[in-house]
Amino acid sequence: MAVKKFKYLSPEWAEEVFKRANGRLTPEKMKHVTSSMLTLNKNCPDGKDRAVYYEIVDGVVRKVSIAEGKLPNAEFTITADYQLFAKISRAELKARRALMSGKMKLKGPLVKALRLSPLVDRLNEVISTIPTEF
Amino acid sequence: MPKKSSSPKDRYFIDFPKRIRAIQAETAKSGIDVYLGTRLRTLSWTIGAFCPWRSYVVIPRRGLPIAFTFVIDAARVADDSWLGQDQVMGYGPMGDQDQITLLANSIGSHLKGGKGVVGIESGMATYLPEGNITLYEYECLKAALPKARFQNAYDIIDQLSLIKDEGTINRFREASRIVDIGHREVYKAIVDGGYKGMTETEIAGLAAYAMRKAGSEWEWSFTGGNEIACGYRTGYAAGACTPATRKLLKAGEPLTVDLHAMFMLGLGDHAHNYLLGPATKRQKWHAKNFVDLVKLCLTKYRAGTSPSGLADELLDFSEERGFAEYMVPGFEHGIGLMGDEWRIGLNDGPFAYWTNPEHEYQANEMIICAIQYSCPDEKIGFRYENPILIKKSGCEVMSKFPLAIEEI
Repeated sequence: MAVKKFKYLSPEWAEEVFKRANGRLTPEKMKHVTSSMLTLNKNCPDGKDRAVYYEIVDGVVRKVSIAEGKLPNAEFTITADYQLFAKISRAELKARRALMSGKMKLKGPLVKALRLSPLVDRLNEVISTIPTEF
Repeated sequence: MPKKSSSPKDRYFIDFPKRIRAIQAETAKSGIDVYLGTRLRTLSWTIGAFCPWRSYVVIPRRGLPIAFTFVIDAARVADDSWLGQDQVMGYGPMGDQDQITLLANSIGSHLKGGKGVVGIESGMATYLPEGNITLYEYECLKAALPKARFQNAYDIIDQLSLIKDEGTINRFREASRIVDIGHREVYKAIVDGGYKGMTETEIAGLAAYAMRKAGSEWEWSFTGGNEIACGYRTGYAAGACTPATRKLLKAGEPLTVDLHAMFMLGLGDHAHNYLLGPATKRQKWHAKNFVDLVKLCLTKYRAGTSPSGLADELLDFSEERGFAEYMVPGFEHGIGLMGDEWRIGLNDGPFAYWTNPEHEYQANEMIICAIQYSCPDEKIGFRYENPILIKKSGCEVMSKFPLAIEEI
């Protein structure tokens, strides 16, 4: 039986991220953190910019949604090219390395971001398990 | 205790004239007629004396350089430097004796008809005493030398000073030996409840006294000399800078002792950590994580390693062991003679004047292995620092104080 593939940055993909994140990331693993994050994918294949909004409350992923046009406010906004995010989502590149290369931009308090970066790695690891069509 | 080393047989000997000739060869290649050094790292590397006041070195295409420093310190700098009195000038607030006039005259004397190229040192740094040329100095010199062209050329010194010579390496070894004496004195003072009633500043002071007795010139770090932290101060979020305070050491708390000694401009820098007993199981878990990570890190340094590659390996290890969120994700900083701190390698990375994370270490480069573990929620953290000499297939760890986090 063929494995169902989710189209990257589609509402179905976001729903799957939400499901898997809640199934695999316990509040303890997420250090009971409360934060929000927007990953803004520039230059998607259809030429648009598209963002993923994550809301985490007390270590529980409460919301994963796709946003276009007017974007919701988040504590952290991470901006990069679609292809770079795709690499991170396939676990081919770590977000920290992408940030240090200057190809990925971060808006938000750096001290807190450094503390949260392993948590984001854990979330990306979950995302990388989703059969995805880019 | 040698103040300066002028014999090639001396283990601390540095061939300063050879360094000047190397700079002159590079300036010639770049079409620079005269080089104006202003950074502390450049002054240490060329003059061989500590220059705490705003100082300058003018290096012509041929012949000896001339150094300029504040008049109250010029005779002392001349005494400490290989250059001698005729080549070290004082500046002060008197007619034609201010620094701009002296520099313009000195530089101008190497420019035919006032025309030519002047190499300068411009840029930015995380390190406050870096000493890049200021806008005011630059504008004044441009006005005084209107036919000259100014060219940023700091990379000449950075390239030449990257690989350390034997005299420099031996100065670092001696500074590290002195730091270890400081650590032994701290241990003796705090063991068996000796820490009770002591403050962070007292620890900093007793270590300084022991190191001075052993020949350290000063606790060189601009971060407050010897950095001592106890309790919650050991674990500032993403923190790795703790000038000592009047905080009392207390039972049940961690203690970080980060000592700095200087020997002939070579720098000792070693941080050691303790748990002031009784330590909890959880504190011991943190301590074991940290010691295991440092041990792993020290097996990784060799020619060809890069900061980014090392960070990947160490962060993977810390993730496997469940403590990744406590790691500051950088594991070393650059080092050279006094004033050369922070950036590793050359300014060739994605962020201007920062370390290039893909820099590949070469044999005889030096760094400070600098690892910070920070858990502010549990008021605990640890720091490791140690000068590392990169070798072809491994590294030399200069401070020999045994790696451990003792419960005392």
